[in-house]
Amino acid sequence: MAIIHLQVNKQAISQDVPDQTLLVELLRDTLGLTGTHTGCDTTQCGCCVVLVDGVSVKSCTVLAAGIQGSQVTTVEGLSSGTQLHPIQEAFMEHHALQCGFCTPGMMMSALDLIQRHHQPLTPELVRSEMEGNLCRCTGYHNIVKAIVSASEKMHAANLASTAPQVSA
Amino acid sequence: MNSKFELPQVSAKPSDLIQGISLKAVGQPLKRKEDLRLITGQGRFTDDFSLPNQTWAWMVRSPYPHARILDIDKQSVLDLPGVLGVFTGADCLADGLKPIDHSPVPSTQYDVKLRGPNDTAVFVGRHVLLPTDKVRFVGEAVAMVVARTREQARLAAESVLVEYEELPWVADTELAAAPDAPRVWDDLPTNVLVDATFGNQEATAKAFQEAAHVVNMKTRINRVTGVPLEPRAALGNYDPSTQSFTLYAGSGGAVRQKRELAQVLGVDAEKVRVLSFDVGGNFGTRNRAFVEFGLVMWASKKLGVPVKFRAERTESFLSDYQGRDLITEVSLAMDAHGKFLAIKAHNLSNVGYCCVSLSPLSKGSGLISGSYDIPYAVLRSRAVYSNTMATQAFRSSGRPEVIFAIERLIDKAAHQTGMDRIELRRKNLVKPTQMPYTNPVGSTYDSGEYEINMDRALALADWGGIEERRVQAKRRGKLLGVGMANYVESSIGSPKERVDLIVHGKHIEVIIGTQPAGQGHETSFAQVTADLLGVSFEQVSITLGDTDIVTAGGGTHSGRSMRHASTVIALASIDLKAKAKKLLALHLNAPLESIDFINGKFIHSSTHTQLDWFELFQVSQSAELPAELQGGLKIRRDNEMHTPVFPNGTCVCEIEIDPQTGGIEIKNYVTVDDVGRCINPLIVHGQTHGGIAHGVGQALWEQCLIEPDSGQPLIGSLMDYAMPRFDNLPSFKAEIAEVLSPTNPFGIKAGGEGGTTPALAVIASAVEDALLPICGPVEIPMPITPVKIWTALQKAQKS
Amino acid sequence: MNPITFHKPQTLRDASDLFTQLDNAAFVSGGHTLLPSMKQGFAAPDHLIDLNQIPGNAQISIDSGCLTIGAMARHVDVASSTIVKNAIPALAGLAGSIGDRQVRQRGTIGGSVANNDPAADYPSAVLGLGATVITTQREILADDFFVSLFETALRPGEIITAVRFPVPKSAGYAKFKSPAARYPQAGVFIALFELSIRVAVTGAGASGVFRLTQLEQLLAKQFDSAAAQSLEIDTKELLSDLYATQDYRANLVKIMAGRAIAHMGQASVFK
Repeated sequence: MAIIHLQVNKQAISQDVPDQTLLVELLRDTLGLTGTHTGCDTTQCGCCVVLVDGVSVKSCTVLAAGIQGSQVTTVEGLSSGTQLHPIQEAFMEHHALQCGFCTPGMMMSALDLIQRHHQPLTPELVRSEMEGNLCRCTGYHNIVKAIVSASEKMHAANLASTAPQVSA
Repeated sequence: MNSKFELPQVSAKPSDLIQGISLKAVGQPLKRKEDLRLITGQGRFTDDFSLPNQTWAWMVRSPYPHARILDIDKQSVLDLPGVLGVFTGADCLADGLKPIDHSPVPSTQYDVKLRGPNDTAVFVGRHVLLPTDKVRFVGEAVAMVVARTREQARLAAESVLVEYEELPWVADTELAAAPDAPRVWDDLPTNVLVDATFGNQEATAKAFQEAAHVVNMKTRINRVTGVPLEPRAALGNYDPSTQSFTLYAGSGGAVRQKRELAQVLGVDAEKVRVLSFDVGGNFGTRNRAFVEFGLVMWASKKLGVPVKFRAERTESFLSDYQGRDLITEVSLAMDAHGKFLAIKAHNLSNVGYCCVSLSPLSKGSGLISGSYDIPYAVLRSRAVYSNTMATQAFRSSGRPEVIFAIERLIDKAAHQTGMDRIELRRKNLVKPTQMPYTNPVGSTYDSGEYEINMDRALALADWGGIEERRVQAKRRGKLLGVGMANYVESSIGSPKERVDLIVHGKHIEVIIGTQPAGQGHETSFAQVTADLLGVSFEQVSITLGDTDIVTAGGGTHSGRSMRHASTVIALASIDLKAKAKKLLALHLNAPLESIDFINGKFIHSSTHTQLDWFELFQVSQSAELPAELQGGLKIRRDNEMHTPVFPNGTCVCEIEIDPQTGGIEIKNYVTVDDVGRCINPLIVHGQTHGGIAHGVGQALWEQCLIEPDSGQPLIGSLMDYAMPRFDNLPSFKAEIAEVLSPTNPFGIKAGGEGGTTPALAVIASAVEDALLPICGPVEIPMPITPVKIWTALQKAQKS
Repeated sequence: MNPITFHKPQTLRDASDLFTQLDNAAFVSGGHTLLPSMKQGFAAPDHLIDLNQIPGNAQISIDSGCLTIGAMARHVDVASSTIVKNAIPALAGLAGSIGDRQVRQRGTIGGSVANNDPAADYPSAVLGLGATVITTQREILADDFFVSLFETALRPGEIITAVRFPVPKSAGYAKFKSPAARYPQAGVFIALFELSIRVAVTGAGASGVFRLTQLEQLLAKQFDSAAAQSLEIDTKELLSDLYATQDYRANLVKIMAGRAIAHMGQASVFK
């Protein structure tokens, strides 16, 4: 057991949990943040994606103990008050969700993608970079539109991170 | 109140019920009401719920496809940390738990009537919660361990010692139907539970005798699994003070499952409350109750604590209800000019170890002639048990299979006779003037403009430019292929639906018994209600999923929801308006005839006093109401509709194959779908896209395979089961055609499954077209993976 | 997951010592191989020794014709590194094609190489470039490093600190991805040096990554993709699974080899 100190959605948390606690378990079971989901057991579906220090990770494959002191952002931390994040607005506008189960992980993954590129994304880039997220409802068509649209809006508003551009 | 769908006058049409209704919200691509909670992480999926003191269940599953259960050693784990109990089939039996009655034989008026061999009743294997005699498939739950934590339950479950006696087994569909195959159920002489023949034997035989051309085909349609991203889960709680059960479990119909599970537990239905709120994908896999749903409720009663279960993805692959798995042999008789004279089909459906739903076989049977005018048919429909997980309806239950059969048969006929595959289809399509058209197995298609839609799809796909693009692809070293398929499909579904319309202070609540898992009912039903009642879309809310509130309803499957919901809401709105008028008349002490309803307002014609619904609500709160207006401004309405509707359309798909690797890329995917009236195009397009993904997934990547020597499933995780992903699907060109159905007030058909229905055929057709110059006409068994394409090319190039 | 104790040594020495002291311990870096294995019950260590806290093991540098990549360098960092892109662009491309974006953001070259998954991408580059694996104890040549499926020359407790790649005149990588797992069904890495040519194949061999010496000899005579066509691959040595027969894999090896040669200076991904 160890005490895990993290910032989750800008709130400091300290929780004493067993060392084998996965980040997704800490979020869902310990902190009650049930917006992040588990959909598989082979790290392939992406339903559990959150941001750790601004980088998208699969929270089902990260130990809470391994990210001591980090900043974690989950879907619950996207909007500020009633103001939705551009990625949330884009998903709603373009009907990029149906059952909504993959959506939190999908948006976090998309946000990371948008923030890594200094210009708006193309559909081709979105399709190749979002390989780690599965959706069973939408056929991906509208999700691509939503992510491209959000990247255009965010870059226009210069909300994107100024982190060094990466092409991976 | 009336429950049969009766029109006010003999000569009236269903659409008369919405005459004079101004359609403002209906037809608009309104953003969804359900989105806000889902995009902010406030969704309410089953695993999101927890109860104080809850414990966890983990299932012990059979490693064998078929084995007698000799002994289950509970003692081996009872002393492990946290273990509260180990439960077996013997315990279920001792407590009088019954099998789940799935009512698998479709029984609406228009379902094809399936019977057992020699016209006997269909034997439905008992779906007990835990078996006592034998296990019948790899993954069948044979015991349940309950412990304080999920991890403790897992460790204990993995340690339970079970003694089995292995038995001969059979998994393959054809082998299972053999008279000497190992029997899954001792109650039957063979594994064949359904063997029924329909149609006109004499006329069909004559047509085949006189035919200029006969085309034959035998195809095996692969078995797939739904992979809804939310693994199934259940949280059961027993309250001894009320002797009642509560179950949180995402499903395809909380009302149905409440009824079925109450029967299993041996209690009255009022003693069971089922809560199914947000559901992470259904596609058919959740249409029937799982054993864990009953087990957690029962265990909760025995242990005095809530019990929760959540499937691992591996368990989902093993024991979610699976889909398809059909062998179809079809023959088409044509005259010298290509006119279809008759069709013969023999379908064999693998239901798995226990019969949960015969919907795929039944619905498919009703559509064997597809979109074409074929006067005669003979169809033999069979179903067989095997030592595999049970199959049931999966996205467009039964229809992709039969559309595959007829469309590929026509492609084959084109090759065989040298006739053009489009013209062959055009010559035989059912014409609008023939509607309503009764096909040779008795299905009556309500409406459709098949040829117009086909031509539209061909134009959208630039059919005329194929050869030019083929040449260009060749220069890049690729084989281009184009497939096309027409489809017609049926939407029947549970015939009954109930709605409660309740006017509140500032909004109108609609309580209804459908069960969406992403189809957007909270939005589309609100659109319909808003227009019917003359209020704004924002002023309507939809309540679903809690059986304490939702007292009746048919659930969601078979594309039934929009049609049934809109109809019962239309009927209810008429009743509600009548009630409201009475209320206002009473309130104003005016004659009833002097009250009109115009644009959402109730108007007293002589004084021009006008009240809207919410002002009338205030009136209803204060007034002393006579008996017939008791309860205020609300109404309950039931409806029963049996008449099916027939969505239809055309699909064209263009692919490029890399002959060196067998790799396949979809370059263009076009659909024209007649969904009847489209309530929300955003939602309908989304359904089309998702439906296409399911069909393409099956055609190219997905399969549930059993190892032939061991009976072991080869698919245990997403590492083995290939899925549609961002990078292997294109963006789609989907167009909606609205040919209103005359069968219901809004003219709705269905939009949820048309994407899937032609997809198997169109992919196979495109692959064949691409390989034609090298392989000749070729049928590659689905999923058509790169290795299979390459192997076919190798074979052709060697010979 | 089974209970574990999580240790966070601050130096490599502490990490090695811990390994020796503890019973049933495993090192963890990116965790995207080990943790899934633990979740599925294929691995059950009682102790995890976290290498992520140890500074200085993620550097990428170039010196005297050798590119050295620290064992803790994440795939995404190798893929975007200007140094790697300039020196061995096919290596950068390969790193950028591993798994999905989340895997690339956590996975490390040291973890991948130590694991020696027969379908991992990195072993083909390490073997194909004739790299040297640098550990806490010694330096191991690539040809001696990869022993068999999931087996390397590493001793218990020995930790990879860096991989040193000789910079070739040019290199190319081409792979064909499996439909489900998305690993390469055949990934061919080709390196052209002044005095030699090396070819390594991953994803296809029943014993893991292997040198395709036959192709090396053919390419030495004539460096073009036609050489790949005349390869004769012994199918008995190849993996067979749901999505690839041995014949098909042999074909993929030849085709990917040809495409790597035709597109030197990059990683080409097919599916």
